[in-house]
Amino acid sequence: MGIKGLMKLLADNAPSGMKEQKFESYFGRKIAIDASMSIYQFLIVVGRSGTEMLTNEAGETTSHLVGMFSRTIRLLEAGIKPVYVFDGKPPDLKKQELAKRYSRREDATDDLAKATEAGNKEDIEKFSKRTVKVTPQHNDDCKKLLRLMGVPAVEAPSEAEAQCAALCKAEKAYFPLPSHALGIIIDKYQMRKSSYTCQVYAVASEDMDSLTFGAPKFLRHLMDPSSKKIPVMEFDISKVLEELELDMDQFIDLCILCGCDYCDSIRGIGPQTALKLVRQHGSMESILENINKERYQIPDEWPYKEARRLFKEPLVVTDDEQAELKWAAPDEEGLINFLVKENGFNIDRVTKAIEKIKTAKNKSSQGRLESFFKPVSTSAPVKRKETAQTTEKGAANKKSKAGGGKKKK
Amino acid sequence: MLELRLVQGSLLKKVLESVKDLVNDANFDCSATGFSLQAMDSSHVALVALLLRSEGFEHYRCDRNISMGMNLGNMAKMLKCAGNDDIITIKADDGSDTVTFMFESPTQDKIADFEMKLMDIDSEHLGIPEAEYHAIVRMPSAEFCRICKDLSSIGDTVVISVTKEGVKFSTRGDIGTANIVCRQNTTVDKPEEATVIEMNEPVSLTFALRYLNSFTKASPLSNTVTISLSSELPVVVEYKIAEMGYVRFYLAPKIEEDEEETKP
Repeated sequence: MGIKGLMKLLADNAPSGMKEQKFESYFGRKIAIDASMSIYQFLIVVGRSGTEMLTNEAGETTSHLVGMFSRTIRLLEAGIKPVYVFDGKPPDLKKQELAKRYSRREDATDDLAKATEAGNKEDIEKFSKRTVKVTPQHNDDCKKLLRLMGVPAVEAPSEAEAQCAALCKAEKAYFPLPSHALGIIIDKYQMRKSSYTCQVYAVASEDMDSLTFGAPKFLRHLMDPSSKKIPVMEFDISKVLEELELDMDQFIDLCILCGCDYCDSIRGIGPQTALKLVRQHGSMESILENINKERYQIPDEWPYKEARRLFKEPLVVTDDEQAELKWAAPDEEGLINFLVKENGFNIDRVTKAIEKIKTAKNKSSQGRLESFFKPVSTSAPVKRKETAQTTEKGAANKKSKAGGGKKKK
Repeated sequence: MLELRLVQGSLLKKVLESVKDLVNDANFDCSATGFSLQAMDSSHVALVALLLRSEGFEHYRCDRNISMGMNLGNMAKMLKCAGNDDIITIKADDGSDTVTFMFESPTQDKIADFEMKLMDIDSEHLGIPEAEYHAIVRMPSAEFCRICKDLSSIGDTVVISVTKEGVKFSTRGDIGTANIVCRQNTTVDKPEEATVIEMNEPVSLTFALRYLNSFTKASPLSNTVTISLSSELPVVVEYKIAEMGYVRFYLAPKIEEDEEETKP
């Protein structure tokens, strides 16, 4: 899943590229969400006790619907405009990784059977979580739910993260958008009315490879339940690159070395070593030439070039193929039919939730200042303690790791 | 080395009272020309820009440009300790992580020093282009304050529209609707009681009253308020500070979405 150890590597080496943000601060923003990842999380977490899951009368799981419904409403209430992106056909290179996941699931199923026999509650829960799989049925249910809620869903031709990143990259195109801008088409009327409604601000996922796919802004923990009170972690790729002193191509090589979904990593090279090597040699080719082959065994078949291409030029929908993103009013009747009649939701809860969606729609019309004024400088203009800060670099790093506040005590 | 001596200390007290509810933490930027601040509220809907020019201070010394991050709530707490007639001096040493507020009573028989810890604040500085506004309304600040307060008891948002007839504030809520029209009126005894409307083009914009109400906390700073509007731009609500500068509030409008978008 994602890039191994990248999170820690960035926390240690590029702390200024990540910022803790309040959930509320994203109101009015369009955010592309990796749907498959979220559904997976819902299936694991929502309404589970042991092997028991939330089901409808027919015995089909509804955890994903409960999760999708309540989390999406939470986003809408905060004034966020979510776009869900669903996985398409996995790239060939990922087959190996998928096969591994499949076999792990098989193992877990066996373990679960054993644990159930032994009646060990903790183990039952642990292993049953590992057997979770997102089926096409789950995806279709969620798409239907989203459509009824008036929230746009996009089907990625391949990896959802790549498509999310592509939607978000379109944000870079300054308004008015050139016609070749990625992802979104806007009609002229809408463009004139509200310049800001056409930009996807960030990608929300838990998979770090969103960054590798080039999402300019990447959010973690956005979809975590509010009860956990985890602040959203925002990554800014341009700051990350600046602080790592790498360009995007080198960053992709770094991620491949750390270990991605598309090819094995080299034994003995972890994130730290990978960063050192990329900094020292500049590119994968040069690393492979100069590396000590005795110490590090490069796998015989190591398709790093293909993996690199997948990250750089992933299969995504662009331009005209992409339908306009629209946030519409919820279809009340449809929601009640689908959730209450077909899936056994409580009717009172659903009607209340629909009310929430409607009120939330009003809130999302508030504009943000950044849509009108562009930032000129992002950091504090003049540091008070320039000299002191350079000498205390270690201490400064620690401070910023602790969080965005950085209060001087 | 920074040393700014402000004889009319109550000004600074009023400035802080007007912005502290909108912004929690902000960087004060000091340069040879003046003492300024630009900060957004946490939801990035409103922005406050403050300028106190160096000429307005009795003594102004700023050797090099510095930026001091302060918690405005804490700063307001300290300034509350100053008397209304007190002379306030802001002092900071180079490389220090504190700032000192010194309060002197007018008779010089009491001197108080308050030292406050500074903070490191990451803040985005927005570039605000000089724009020609479609309509500029100048009116008594107390009047504007009253209108915002009254309307917020009826609804959450206000539509401000400027036409040849005057400026209209309207709202709608669960209990009903309200419309207040202010006509141009320059035949008053005192110039600050006038309502002056300069209009190039009629405009109509919608804003959240919550923020406007917060802006009117600056009313004690000035008898008049200037409201500048352009369609598709944030409104500017400006309170001039006599002979020193201004407090300007910017508020992003609410944008009604396309009719067809709201249909399923």
